[in-house]
Amino acid sequence: MKNKLNIMVVDDESIVRESLYHWFIKSGHTVDTAASGFEALEKLEQVPFDILFVDIKMPGMDGIELLKKVKSAYPDTIVIIITAYGSIESAITAMKTGASDYLLKPFKPDYLSLVLEKVTRQQQLADEYNFLKGHIERITRFDNIIGQSPPMQEIFNIIPDIAESDASILLTGETGTGKELIARAIHAKSPRAHCPFIAINCGAVPDSLLESELFGHLKGAFTDAAYSRKGFLEVVNGGTLFLDEVGEVSPKMQIDLLRVLEEKEITRIGSSEPLEVDFRLISATRRNVEEAVEQGDFREDFYYRINVIRLHVPPLRERIEDMTLLVNHFLQKYSQDTAKRVDHVSGETLEILKKYAWPGNVRELENAIERAVVLAGSRTLTAADFSFLSPALRPAKGARTLKEMERAHILEVLEDCAWNITRAAGVLGINRVTLHKKIDRLDLRASRK
Amino acid sequence: MNHPGCIGIVPMGVVPPVVPKVIAAHISGFLNLASTVLNPLRNPQYALDDQRLQYDAATILETMGNQSFPGVDKIVAILNVDLFLPVFSHVFGEARQHGRVALVSICRLAEEPVENGQLSPTTLERTAKVALHELGHLYGLIHCENHPCLMHFSGSLEELDQTPLHLCPYCTQYFRDETGSPDHV
Repeated sequence: MKNKLNIMVVDDESIVRESLYHWFIKSGHTVDTAASGFEALEKLEQVPFDILFVDIKMPGMDGIELLKKVKSAYPDTIVIIITAYGSIESAITAMKTGASDYLLKPFKPDYLSLVLEKVTRQQQLADEYNFLKGHIERITRFDNIIGQSPPMQEIFNIIPDIAESDASILLTGETGTGKELIARAIHAKSPRAHCPFIAINCGAVPDSLLESELFGHLKGAFTDAAYSRKGFLEVVNGGTLFLDEVGEVSPKMQIDLLRVLEEKEITRIGSSEPLEVDFRLISATRRNVEEAVEQGDFREDFYYRINVIRLHVPPLRERIEDMTLLVNHFLQKYSQDTAKRVDHVSGETLEILKKYAWPGNVRELENAIERAVVLAGSRTLTAADFSFLSPALRPAKGARTLKEMERAHILEVLEDCAWNITRAAGVLGINRVTLHKKIDRLDLRASRK
Repeated sequence: MNHPGCIGIVPMGVVPPVVPKVIAAHISGFLNLASTVLNPLRNPQYALDDQRLQYDAATILETMGNQSFPGVDKIVAILNVDLFLPVFSHVFGEARQHGRVALVSICRLAEEPVENGQLSPTTLERTAKVALHELGHLYGLIHCENHPCLMHFSGSLEELDQTPLHLCPYCTQYFRDETGSPDHV
């Protein structure tokens, strides 16, 4: 059956209202009628309508006047004007004023069906567009980046300023630190926000394919080019191009990209016709690019071109104070996604998570929480839910001295034994007196639970 | 043999006698409902629009709705005049959802003007389709999005010829619920 529409027929002739009313009812729609523009506006205040069929000639308020008022107050409502053959000029005026279509009386029943189908499809596309636009806005929202730590606050403060400019940005930081999220946030805050944001992982695309992906190609330009295709540099027009793992781009591609950045022009593979392009470049890398430049692996001129503004995203171990915030955020997210009521992490578990080095940074933490929520047997996540981390569980990279290692290990054993000195001493292979001395010397204290 | 649940078929004006018989056979064969051919009525001259030289289907429905047809639940009236509804150029048939009377005109369904009572098999099948479709509206069915369904809207003869005589599974279920008998259709 058809999608049910809420339709209003506005006509001063009752016979017309009746005819269309019954026709739409038979097509499965909800229908109301109004004998004048004033009555139509009153009804619109009470109930939203998808489509209005409006006769152009009505006493009091004519169809064009009603159309203007409807489009001004309810821009999403579709208006179709019904007019006689003699008043085609008015139909043109109606179309210029915002009517979606017009019907010349008397019209064939199948024409009405066709118009209804067409405007419904248009409405569906508009709804889909608005939904996707909202979805994209949600995923690019600034508040998707979580962090209260000083280095993250510094990044939050700088994003609005750098978003306004058009200068190229280089984001550095380890894998999984959220570089793409920050790039999306910059794009979302920039004047280019309503144009595309296209992300390419240069490390994942072979060089030959990357050229075609970025620049596009003409049909027959190479063996597999069965169709002409626009490249991302063309598609992104007006928006932001995010080149992830830019450190992996080949020297040849660096030259090509440098030329694009300088000349703001591209040429599709197989074509000699240059096309103007307009985009903002944000690049990201986990490599030490300066070192690569020194070693000759990365072109110096390209480096300066992409590194106008530099932003370093700290690894998770350097902003461990954000752990509680991040854990709660992912816990809430995956509890909702999996419809499992897992809403708490024990204090002991949180301490374990804080001690873990997180080489995969926030992405690894997110995956760990997702896995733990999926497999959790109770509302509260415990250390056992993160047992899959234990092979890699080790003190963070900052704690490297023998004393720090000793301190971390003794504390871990004490926590595991719930500060039962006899049991902990047994596990450590030392006597209780020695353990007490070490606790005093290393200033060890039980964490609050 | 008039009984409750029976469909009355009423020729109006000059209608070839084969048409009511064909419609009765299709009602029985495809909708599994009883039907009977009633005495003919006169051409509905009262509904003629002098300017359009067409007959107003809404006026005919209203007039017939006030008439008494003892022993039958629903009426299918067959005409050989060009029917219209205000704003529409023409209609092949007309009925109101959950109404009592349905109209079918053979005027635009025949390839040539109907003379000496001869109608082609195609015209007869088209007439039966429109009759069954309008009867579906009388039992509350609405236009169906499924192309292979009797209740799919057909605005042209080409579309009508592609429309089947049977209902899709959804409309079949609805029709069964409405007619209250699992044996129907």
